[in-house]
Amino acid sequence: MATTAEPGIEVGGTDGRLLPELVSHLRQHRTALREEWATRITAAHLLSAMTPHEISTETTSVYDNYVEVLETGSVEALQQYARDLSERIIPRGVETHEVVEIVLLLRDVLARSLFEKYHDDFSLLNEVLDAYEPAANRIANTVAVSFVDERERVIRQQQEAIRELSTPVLQVRERLLILPIIGVLDRQRTKQLTEQLLSGIRTHRAKVVVIDVTGVPAIDESVANHLVQTVDASRLMGASVIITGLSSEIAQTLVTIGVDLNKMNTIGDLQGGIEEAERFLGFHVTRSDGS
Amino acid sequence: MSVHAAGHSSGIAELDPLIRRVVGGRLRDQSALDDVVQETLARTMAARIRLDDGALAPYAIVTARNLVSGLWRREERSQRHLHRLVDRWEPPGPDDDVVLREQAEAVAVALAELPPRERLGLVAHELEGRETASLAEEWGSTPGAVAAQLKRARAKLRVEYLLALGRIDPPTPLCRPVLMALSGGERRRQRELEAGQHLLECDFCSDMGPTLLQSREKGAEDDVQVPVECDADVVAARQRAREVAAEVGFSGTDLTLISTAVSEIARNIVQFARRGEVVLTRVEDDGRSGVRVVARDAGPGIADLDRAEQDGFSTYGGMGLGLPGCRRLMDEFEVTSKVDKGTTVVMTKWRQQPN
Amino acid sequence: MLVSILRQGDFLIASIHTALDDTEMERFRQDVVTRIGQFRSRGVIIDVAALDVIDSFGSRCLADLAHMARFRGAQTVIVGIQPDVAFAIVQLGMDLDVHTTLDLEEGLALLERLTAGSRTGHSAIGVLGDDR
Repeated sequence: MATTAEPGIEVGGTDGRLLPELVSHLRQHRTALREEWATRITAAHLLSAMTPHEISTETTSVYDNYVEVLETGSVEALQQYARDLSERIIPRGVETHEVVEIVLLLRDVLARSLFEKYHDDFSLLNEVLDAYEPAANRIANTVAVSFVDERERVIRQQQEAIRELSTPVLQVRERLLILPIIGVLDRQRTKQLTEQLLSGIRTHRAKVVVIDVTGVPAIDESVANHLVQTVDASRLMGASVIITGLSSEIAQTLVTIGVDLNKMNTIGDLQGGIEEAERFLGFHVTRSDGS
Repeated sequence: MSVHAAGHSSGIAELDPLIRRVVGGRLRDQSALDDVVQETLARTMAARIRLDDGALAPYAIVTARNLVSGLWRREERSQRHLHRLVDRWEPPGPDDDVVLREQAEAVAVALAELPPRERLGLVAHELEGRETASLAEEWGSTPGAVAAQLKRARAKLRVEYLLALGRIDPPTPLCRPVLMALSGGERRRQRELEAGQHLLECDFCSDMGPTLLQSREKGAEDDVQVPVECDADVVAARQRAREVAAEVGFSGTDLTLISTAVSEIARNIVQFARRGEVVLTRVEDDGRSGVRVVARDAGPGIADLDRAEQDGFSTYGGMGLGLPGCRRLMDEFEVTSKVDKGTTVVMTKWRQQPN
Repeated sequence: MLVSILRQGDFLIASIHTALDDTEMERFRQDVVTRIGQFRSRGVIIDVAALDVIDSFGSRCLADLAHMARFRGAQTVIVGIQPDVAFAIVQLGMDLDVHTTLDLEEGLALLERLTAGSRTGHSAIGVLGDDR
């Protein structure tokens, strides 16, 4: 009969006989009820990011899972399904409130059909609804919580990815790192960039680093200083630095703070910088092979 | 955020002759005199951000007086206890219990002195962990106003606690407001009340005032002191600095920057003054935490501070990178120095960069 | 053992194994220079990977060592400067004008090139960053 242990749902209330009857009713009218649910979803302008076909597929699965929970009393399968579903629909831009409303819509659609079926026998209807409603609310809750959990996980993941992407240290080939900097450099970001580059040099055993600043509009003097220090620190770790894409504004700032541009390896564009770096690495390979 | 040395430190340095006169009248021993003057300057410097400029000199004077009387008390006691040899550990005395009870009673009395709303607010916030936002809702106020109110309540509580503990009534009607203004670090109020003048005239407040200001130094008892007089102490100082900074939550690069800066100033002490100390303190301000390093010595001092802070100026046999280098490694940096008297460096690094 | 100085053919490999104070650092510098003369070494590797702080004194000591070695006919390569330490050195404003590589292996390879170059009369030009 109905499972009473957590996380199960007690369905059946005072009379365990109700449950099979309820489940078989929902199975019997599966197509009609599911279609009505889908119609109400569209009418409420929910899931606008998904195609009608996708909505149809997902609602069928949710419906079957829903009935299964009512039948078995176990929400585990539903939890797993809700997590998978969330993973699929979160990238499509589906919002938490939509998910909650959709599940509540299903609860109402099913409640209404139970009402129609039992409206002649008022006391039986009450018993059925008493059994159905707590279970339906529990289901809604499970789905919503799974969705929110999944959404938070995705957001965390994205934030990490963005943090890494904002100062990506790329290995193009052995011993060669590229650091394309895009956007405004502030003190905090420059510091982070330096730390990543220096530890990247050690991890990748880099001998040459190409720092491309084509995507940097302008820098202030403190950031310019920091950039020069990054170049010097890289050299102390045994890596040479080539700077590419230096705009005339940034070059001017560097000169203003007293940097001798002749002492920095600057090359017009990233492509040229990489070629120069490869020549340099190639030079080493032949020499050490030869000796 | 960084405080430039030239303007501010000269204000402190000008106090030197004054303090020297005050202490000189009370102490004969030259080295003890130097110690007290240095310590007074350091404490005044630490308390300065919470003091009105007019209160600076009076504060220094009462601090110096307190230090001297503290010195006397210690000397008396050490003579009294000389026969007990060097065991500095003291077993818990039978009166410790009484002291604890007296402190608890003092807190109760002090709390009773607060207006009911402030008292309830403070208890709810400090003991029950209620947030200012929820208090604001209850009082129909804003979180900012509640925070300010709680801050005033705390300042008042400190004053009342000390009064209750000493079982004393302040001698003049001006005492309480002055102490309140000092306790809350309210500089404008200090000026209005001419707090500096009062500190000089009123023996009672000159005893209490500095205690109130110092009690606000968060975690002052957690200071890590490293005596510095030889090469090995330089290594010890930078290693302790790394540990303290790690406890504060600094990571990787910052730990190395801090311990490098400490290494530099500790070496300055050894090479330049022979003996001194480095004090490491965890500091909190406005939700950020950081580490403050104070390095002091009673050495020959630096004649031309402005030049010493320029790259390439040689303070001793080295390349003169010490001071400006440290300034770059830390967020705040300040030197006070007086020829033949000594040098104090105060530098701070904050965990969240003030952008 | 705070430091070790090993001879490997024409080269010396000197390693610092723990934090050194100034006196120990100076003694280390002196020992290395003495050994260079003793063994007529053509190159020296200084392994500083174990140092968590290289301040102005440490930097200066390493630079002096390299200069003194040069007077005795040996090239010096500093290896293993940690990322944080490298950054602190430049923040401090030290211009550590010596050859540096990531690790011992790279250091030995560079020494081979530097000494081979001097033997054939070529200077070490072509090594990027050397002209700084």
